Amino acid sequence: MGFRKLGLLVSGVMLAGTVSPALVGEVLRVQGSTTVNPVVTEALEFLREERGIRYRIDTLGGSAGGIRAVGTGAAEVGMSSKAIGDEDRRRHPGFDFHETVIAVDAVALVVGPDVWGAGVRSLSREQVQVIYERPGVSWTEFGGPDRRVVFFNKEPGRGTWSVFAEWSYGDPGEAPPVSHPEVGANEEVRTKVSRTRGALSQLSASWVDGRTVFALGIVNDSGETIRPEGEALANGHYPLSRPLLLVTEGEPEGAARELIEFLLGPEGQRLVRKHGYLSLAEAGL
Amino acid sequence: MTRALAIEKERPSLAGTWSFTHDPWTTLVWGSLILSGGLFLFAGATLVWQSLPIWRHEGWGFLFGGEWFYRHELFGAGAMLYGSVAVAAIAVLLAVPLGVLAAVFLSEYLPRRLRWGMKVLVEALASVPSVVYGLFGVLVLREWVGGAVEPFGGWTGDTLLTAGLLLAVMALPLTVTLSDDALRGVAQEQRVAVRGLGLTRGETVLLVVLPQAWPAVVGATLLGLGRALGETIAVFLVVGRMDNQLPEKWFSLEMIFQPGQTLTSKLGGPETHLAAGDPLHWGAMMGLCLMLVAITVSCLGGARYLQGKGRGRA
Repeated sequence: MGFRKLGLLVSGVMLAGTVSPALVGEVLRVQGSTTVNPVVTEALEFLREERGIRYRIDTLGGSAGGIRAVGTGAAEVGMSSKAIGDEDRRRHPGFDFHETVIAVDAVALVVGPDVWGAGVRSLSREQVQVIYERPGVSWTEFGGPDRRVVFFNKEPGRGTWSVFAEWSYGDPGEAPPVSHPEVGANEEVRTKVSRTRGALSQLSASWVDGRTVFALGIVNDSGETIRPEGEALANGHYPLSRPLLLVTEGEPEGAARELIEFLLGPEGQRLVRKHGYLSLAEAGL
Repeated sequence: MTRALAIEKERPSLAGTWSFTHDPWTTLVWGSLILSGGLFLFAGATLVWQSLPIWRHEGWGFLFGGEWFYRHELFGAGAMLYGSVAVAAIAVLLAVPLGVLAAVFLSEYLPRRLRWGMKVLVEALASVPSVVYGLFGVLVLREWVGGAVEPFGGWTGDTLLTAGLLLAVMALPLTVTLSDDALRGVAQEQRVAVRGLGLTRGETVLLVVLPQAWPAVVGATLLGLGRALGETIAVFLVVGRMDNQLPEKWFSLEMIFQPGQTLTSKLGGPETHLAAGDPLHWGAMMGLCLMLVAITVSCLGGARYLQGKGRGRA
């Protein structure tokens, strides 16, 4: 079995560019975002065991790579953590991109009970930049208690971190070189934020419980405070969020359709939550 | 003395039989030796080979450089080296005196039946997986340290001190049980004889038993040190993983009350995955591996050397 799978994989890769899709049509080719990847891989593995779907999945080039692969016919399904943009359409003129949102990745800025209890409810992008660039700054500058802001930075390479960095600095590469204590898994963030006085960190919004950690609102450029919940997530007003989507050419068919239907169903949406993202219901979609 | 001489005499005749071809047993043992030695050399050579880009990029500055920002291609391992040494030093300074004294109590003062029970308990503690200690560290130790370091300018419970304390707790059972073995290794007749000369129990321990057991105790310490330097997951969970925490003055203690990074916590983190595909960044990670291996291997070598020396004297 292992050899057959390997053989299929190898032949799939070799034939992908040269032979008509009919010959390799049995292998569902999926490519794109590392953020979406864990959910889709687990769904595909389930479909392989239960329904014998054959697949090949990789994350070459991230979201952009996935969209390009669908556009050039190198993959049937692209995984992306951003909507198809004008540039993608320009690059593949006349191509019928079809997007299906399977989940929402929203990042909340969270504080523990002490900061929340002292009345801090929101931060603006400028304030977050100050916190990021001046370790040791006090909460008094942001209407909080006279304590140091203990900023736990989500470790690099996490989707959560890139959402945060894109929002606060436009691009992860632009984030200034400042060292902070780092945290990894969502469980760790929640434990450390709830148990460290003055703590602030980034956490996937689905992990906010309003009991041990509390989500701050974001003050946008026009002065409104937007909280990571309900409407604001559904209509995309909350700035630290992004849709996770699958891209196909036209309406999905065959195995691609099975995959997407599975992901939109109750089991698929459970996987979405398991990997720390908001299900469509949670995001009000 | 005569017995030792007899063994010495036998050896040349044994050494004479090491032809590969005819004796399958000899072939097996030689083969195993060559295979394990070869694997070690292969691993070492791979580390050196794969870390070449970083030595070309940073030179020796890689070892002590104070800045690590991989997005800006700055790779200095100084803060991690400092973190590893500081954490291990705290662990050894706490675990060894406590462990040796506890071992003295176990071996010299406790009635035999109680001693057996305690020994089982201590060895059970030594075999608890490190992730369990790590969780204990997150849930209990970091809370406690967080409050304790505030007067010293600390601002969170994830500090080098927390990691050091946790490692001390982890190293303690091993130190106790190995030291106890060393103390029990001193012949009972000597204790009886010395007590017969009128020395108190305390004097017997201090003047007769401990000096003889000392080399083995030091060996145990170095083994503990090696373990402390190599421990990853428990340290990872409580050290704070904050880069570039080098003290302004070497030997100033302020940094141990702050979050830091060790060689192992860096290697256990996400950068290993991020570095794959980028020869320079990957080289830097392999360089850290190489440093870690070099340090732990010297600890083990030191332990062997001291133990050998001790045996020579005794």
